[in-house]
Amino acid sequence: MLEINDLTVKYQTPRGALPVLEGINLTARKGEVLGIVGESGSGKTSLALAITGLSEGRLEGSVQFQGEELLGKSREEWERLRGSTLSIVMQQAGEMLTPVLPLIEQVMEPFLKKHPRQKDEAFRRASAMLHKVGLEEHSFYRYPYTLSGGEVQRALLAMALIAEPELLILDEPVSSLDALSKADILTLLEELTGECTVLVISHDLSTIARLADRAAVLYCGSVLETGPTASLLQAPRHPYTRALVRSYPSLYGLKELQGIRGEFPSLGERPGGCPFHTRCTQALEICAQQRPGTVEKEGGRNLACHRGGVVELLRGSGLKQRYALKGKGKDPYLEAVRGIDISLDEGEVYALVGESGSGKSTLGRMLAGVDRPYAGTVSFQGQGFFQLSPAETKKAKRDLQMLFQNSGEALSHRMTVHELVAEPLFIQEVGDPQTRREAVRRALRWVYLPDDEHFLNEYPHHLSGGELQRVALARALVLEPKVLIADEPSASLDASVQAKVIKLLLQLQNERGFALILITHDLALAARAGDRVGVMHEGKIVEEGPAADILRRPLHPYTQSLLGAAPSIGGANLAATGMPSPAEPAVAAAEGPNGKPACSFSPDCAHSCEECFRYVPPLVRVGFQKVACYRYA
Amino acid sequence: MNKRLLDYLLALLIILTLNFMLPRLMPGEPITAIYGDALVEMTPEMKSHLLERYGLDRPLGEQFAVYMGNLFQGDLGYSYYFRAPVAQVISGALPWTLLLAGTSLLFSTFLGIVWGVEAGWRRGRKFDRASLVTAMLLNGVPGFVLGILLLLFLGFYLQWFPLSGGASPYLGQEGIARAADILRHLFLPALTLTLVQLPRNFLLMRSSLLGVKERPYVMTARGKGLRERVVRYRHAVRGALPPVVTRVGMSAGLLFTGVFFVEVVFAYPGLGHLFYLALQHHDYPTVHGCLLLITVCVLLFNFAADLFSIKLDPRLRENARQLLGRT
Ligand SMILES: Nc1ncnc2c1ncn2[C@@H]1O[C@H](COP(=O)(O)OP(=O)(O)OP(=O)(O)O)[C@@H](O)[C@H]1O
Ligand code: SF4
Ligand code: SF4
Ligand SMILES: [Mg+2]
Repeated sequence: MLEINDLTVKYQTPRGALPVLEGINLTARKGEVLGIVGESGSGKTSLALAITGLSEGRLEGSVQFQGEELLGKSREEWERLRGSTLSIVMQQAGEMLTPVLPLIEQVMEPFLKKHPRQKDEAFRRASAMLHKVGLEEHSFYRYPYTLSGGEVQRALLAMALIAEPELLILDEPVSSLDALSKADILTLLEELTGECTVLVISHDLSTIARLADRAAVLYCGSVLETGPTASLLQAPRHPYTRALVRSYPSLYGLKELQGIRGEFPSLGERPGGCPFHTRCTQALEICAQQRPGTVEKEGGRNLACHRGGVVELLRGSGLKQRYALKGKGKDPYLEAVRGIDISLDEGEVYALVGESGSGKSTLGRMLAGVDRPYAGTVSFQGQGFFQLSPAETKKAKRDLQMLFQNSGEALSHRMTVHELVAEPLFIQEVGDPQTRREAVRRALRWVYLPDDEHFLNEYPHHLSGGELQRVALARALVLEPKVLIADEPSASLDASVQAKVIKLLLQLQNERGFALILITHDLALAARAGDRVGVMHEGKIVEEGPAADILRRPLHPYTQSLLGAAPSIGGANLAATGMPSPAEPAVAAAEGPNGKPACSFSPDCAHSCEECFRYVPPLVRVGFQKVACYRYA
Repeated sequence: MNKRLLDYLLALLIILTLNFMLPRLMPGEPITAIYGDALVEMTPEMKSHLLERYGLDRPLGEQFAVYMGNLFQGDLGYSYYFRAPVAQVISGALPWTLLLAGTSLLFSTFLGIVWGVEAGWRRGRKFDRASLVTAMLLNGVPGFVLGILLLLFLGFYLQWFPLSGGASPYLGQEGIARAADILRHLFLPALTLTLVQLPRNFLLMRSSLLGVKERPYVMTARGKGLRERVVRYRHAVRGALPPVVTRVGMSAGLLFTGVFFVEVVFAYPGLGHLFYLALQHHDYPTVHGCLLLITVCVLLFNFAADLFSIKLDPRLRENARQLLGRT
């Protein structure tokens, strides 16, 4: 068992001692594979070197393996430990093997060190191990400079394993490889690590996801979150973990790439307090002043965040809305939203999908506080929105902005650009004319519109559809809201402009750090843009979950039909083709033969059974998803 | 490899041609230029014998053919000062030079490598800095000055070693006793020559080691738990050595210049000393013979170093093989 307690590593530099690792606490049980993820420069290699006694820095704290303290061991003791009790495969950085010595001789060395006289045995073992890692006999006597990166990586692995270590440290074992060799070596690692405790280090989430039982997220030399790998990556709770997962390209294949806003701090200017506070969207004052302690959460998760991880911003509970229908018979109301629970986290992108008429906009308007729900509550930052005093409501509205469907077209044609964008400031009574003008200019720059006088005095009918939509966006963002609810922000634009507007919106979301509810009828877009996706059908959410899961493994028959209908997941417009579009807006809930409410999808569902016509299926949890369908109840 | 060999053969040919042409480019008859003062003492018969034997009155082309022919038979001309064929004179001196050059080469290379590795490994620390200063100082002292100082102190003042010569004359010693006598005579010149070359080898090795010390493979070697000495000499030095060997080989010219001065200072009976004597007495055939042999030695030495560094470094071997494939 490996136990790291309060480990600090400082490097001596001309500018003084710079800490690269601070207060690291980690444990790995016997036989466990512990993953360490983090961006380049976060201190991963420094950690590996510290554990193996190879660090050039000054170490404090304690590193224990099987109860034996490793820090402060003498050089001779380290020489005894390395290559027998513990082995390290170092990060590839150029010539990893002595170029002028034949490969197999180098692989034999660790064994020969332990058993100096058994040259034959060493050779036998080295060849067996090299075979195991997939190297051919003809490579054994080659000089390392003639080997490819993948072959070197395999050889290094063989060299580490021949010592039969109890602790194996792998620093970026596959990062320098192409996709095929990478898959190969990962498979190999899964087979070979066996009994020993493994510490695998990578900036590559898929490697960690594949190999590690548990993972720790390292940022600027601090561990911010640890937990079982699957839950850590699927449901990250620390703002940084979430940002990291979001910015990782291949884990979820089709996801629109999002960097993490701001820059990775350089070693010399590590932020005090919570190291992530300069980039965090939910930082409070205390975050800059005080280091958050690590707190244990349920499910084996550990979290270092003053706010207990990503906080919930907005929640709607039991939301219902109905519209009066004029001149219709027995049921005078159209139930647009029939009981929805929904939440939005700080900095999150929630994509709400559904065909037109499913109640998306109605839900959005309630969440934005524009319309009062007929039943249910909306709370913003923990406070019931409709229970606030007028002054508080006004303040809350500043933080909650809605970009209405066709809002570009809806802009008043009698106002100039400046007046349009400044209007929210005016209503909220923010600033004086001077600062308002500055704010307008800034908002225009965010959306890549000109901010000169000429443009400010332009009237909407002189602008193109794309420009109008961006003016509307600037208007929504000028108050720097915490939540933006964007209702079909691109639907009325032609395809190329559409893509640009969505891109801009996501980019702004990332830079400004607001939470976004993106309402769309395009599931492909939703899955690429959203962290989470909610699928609405006839006024209810029938499936909800991480975008990747929904895309990879849609559970609800309706979601499946949406996906099946998607012409190309690359982002073409779903509505244009064969998405099952309702001929009529639903007037009444689907009813079973006995007149009782039933699953709203039952008339169209290929899997429907008797049961489905009897009750409305509740939303139940399946893995990281939630689904409302009897098949999973 | 063959390409390299060709290079060397070409160089040899050029040297021979130069050696042939230079005296003949001087004003006057070739025989005057070649034999100089010795002519005065020659009888007409001897002169005509020489003219005929070396074809000195025939056209240049034929002269060259004769010259090459003689060379291949080991005929370098006749020395009037020593009253013996030049080849014979030189072959008496050559072993001494080889002994002296070889010994000092061996020691200066070996010590230079160890010293360079140990200092470079502790880069910037006390031992390294002291070593650097020492090497610089030593490098600043000319070879013959160093020789004279050692001669005065160890030979003249302490009388631990003989002052001059390669062996004590007229003792008629045999076996071990003679070997010991030769070694005693060898000590001071060899020490001087070793000290002359040591700083250069030290610096070469040190800088080459610094170049590989931070390479990832050194870290790999340490990471697999090898003992520090093994990491240093088996991994780091193996990587750092080939360029050092090549450079040492290339400095063969310097080695023989050193040999020349040291032999003169210690009156050591090698080629350098012989050359010096011949020069003093205008014994041009011997002078030319010595020059020729020394240049050939330098060439051979370069060649050997080339071969050795190729053996040390498989990458060079690969290059050589590729060159061969192309030519
Ligand atoms: N010997 C050293 N002296 C001074 N600074 C160092 C030293 N080694 C590493 N650093 C610095 O420490 C920080 C962490 O380095 P480290 O190699 O641990 O990062 P990493 O997480 O492994 O990054 P990567 O993913 O690029 O391998 C970096 O800013 C690096 O420049
Ligand atoms: S909320 Fe504060 S403590 Fe938590 S991650 Fe953000 S900056 Fe760090
Ligand atoms: S509950 Fe029945 S009808 Fe509704 S989606 Fe599931 S299988 Fe289909
Ligand atoms: Mg690293």
